[in-house]
Amino acid sequence: MRRSTLYLMLVAVVICAAPLLVAAAKVGQAAPDFTATASNGKTFRLNDYRGKYTVLEWHNNGCPYVGKHYKSGNMQRLQKEWTGRGVVWFTIISSAPGKQGYVTASEENQYLAKMQAAPTAALLDPTGEIGHLYDAKTSPQMVVINPEGTVIYDGAIDDKPTTDLSDVAGATNYVTLALEQAMAGKQVETPATRPYGCSVKYSGSTH
Amino acid sequence: MRGCESSRRFSVALGFLVAQLLCAAGARASGSPIPHGTLELVAENRWVTPGQGFSLGLHFQLERGWHIYWVNPGDSGEPPRVAWQLPPGLSPRAIKWPTPRRLGTSSIVDFGYEDTVTLIVPVHAETSLAAQPLAHLGAEIKVLVCREICIPGKTQLSLTLPIRSQLPAPDVRTRELFAAARKDLPRPAPQDWKFSVDDAKDSFVLAANVGPQITRAIFFPLAEAQIDDSAPQILEPQPSGFRLTLRKSDRLLKPIDRLQGVLALSGNHAYLIDVPVSKRDAQRNNSRGGIFEIQPSREERQK
Repeated sequence: MRRSTLYLMLVAVVICAAPLLVAAAKVGQAAPDFTATASNGKTFRLNDYRGKYTVLEWHNNGCPYVGKHYKSGNMQRLQKEWTGRGVVWFTIISSAPGKQGYVTASEENQYLAKMQAAPTAALLDPTGEIGHLYDAKTSPQMVVINPEGTVIYDGAIDDKPTTDLSDVAGATNYVTLALEQAMAGKQVETPATRPYGCSVKYSGSTH
Repeated sequence: MRGCESSRRFSVALGFLVAQLLCAAGARASGSPIPHGTLELVAENRWVTPGQGFSLGLHFQLERGWHIYWVNPGDSGEPPRVAWQLPPGLSPRAIKWPTPRRLGTSSIVDFGYEDTVTLIVPVHAETSLAAQPLAHLGAEIKVLVCREICIPGKTQLSLTLPIRSQLPAPDVRTRELFAAARKDLPRPAPQDWKFSVDDAKDSFVLAANVGPQITRAIFFPLAEAQIDDSAPQILEPQPSGFRLTLRKSDRLLKPIDRLQGVLALSGNHAYLIDVPVSKRDAQRNNSRGGIFEIQPSREERQK
């Protein structure tokens, strides 16, 4: 009796954990699909953009590492350059309500205007569902997806894991590298790095 | 007349300044503010002796709940960085990092320090170093201090120490601080301890033969993106040691030759280990535990 109860519990654990286990994104594998509401009120589904390169940018407007790339204009420059070349760029905000970086749609729209940011859309992910789907650890964590829907880069925005604005100029930008190499039909040299920055402020996060 | 008056005032002020500097020589400088804490540059000895290495310490005191990071910060964060300004003939060596703690409970785990920590920096002093009453030792520190949010800080620290040809003498004011800091440093693992690491598909299995059975062990990887920092480390006590299963990082795309890091056992005992990775048949590890071992851990990972 007791043993069978234990067994049932284990099976339950396995079943409950299974959908979460298959989900996490990995370089070289299919980018998990998601649907999200953007700050502009529109709904976006990742798989609708098959055929195009897509960049995912994890964002938190209070994080000093994110601040480095916005105050320097680096992120906006990347957004303009790559959306100008047909790339879809989703800024994703996975901060839970009450946590640093959480914004309402109108607050995000104000931020985008003020910073002159130019993503395709800023997706609101207050439940952290998309963040967990991609196992996003930090802001700014960056993911690049190719037209076939495969993750070709996951990690840091560049090779200078600091909050210093002056470090932007000399940095090697991994997103640019991945997009340029993939578009030229080459192998992405650095497909994964440790993403640097602030931890994503999921619900229940303590640090 | 007025000019004479002001120059006299100037000499008095200069006298005070010199007196203050002399009194401060070899003394502990007061802590400089950093976000949610203070940072102090301290010396283990009362003076620098040419040809004799000595230690400096970066002593962090943080408000409750705030932390700084280990050399490998884990999933997020950044270790403190130091730019030294030392007189010619003095050269800093690598920071000795105390054993960190796992910080965080959910899908993001960092490695760092809360409350109080001292980073020891050994300094090499050349024999040609000329004696001088007040050598100025400076350091610019950049440090990220986090609790739920992170605040970058930058501070300039300084310390004046005489350079004397006398034998080194410990500074009683910093003796306890350095003694405590050394206790927190990981030590080289004893020679007769045997380690192995198996590359088992999704995990590294660190096996240790250390004599007694070990029931508590945490591994801190020196390199980033080798193991999944937030995954629970599965410990299986063995009659003369343990086996520790470390889930690989999703970002580890190439095989690695060695696993280097700090192994923390119970009772504040921690050891530096550097173990070659052997690639064996993954089957053995997969079939051993089955879902009973792996599944609850993954469930825990999602909580």
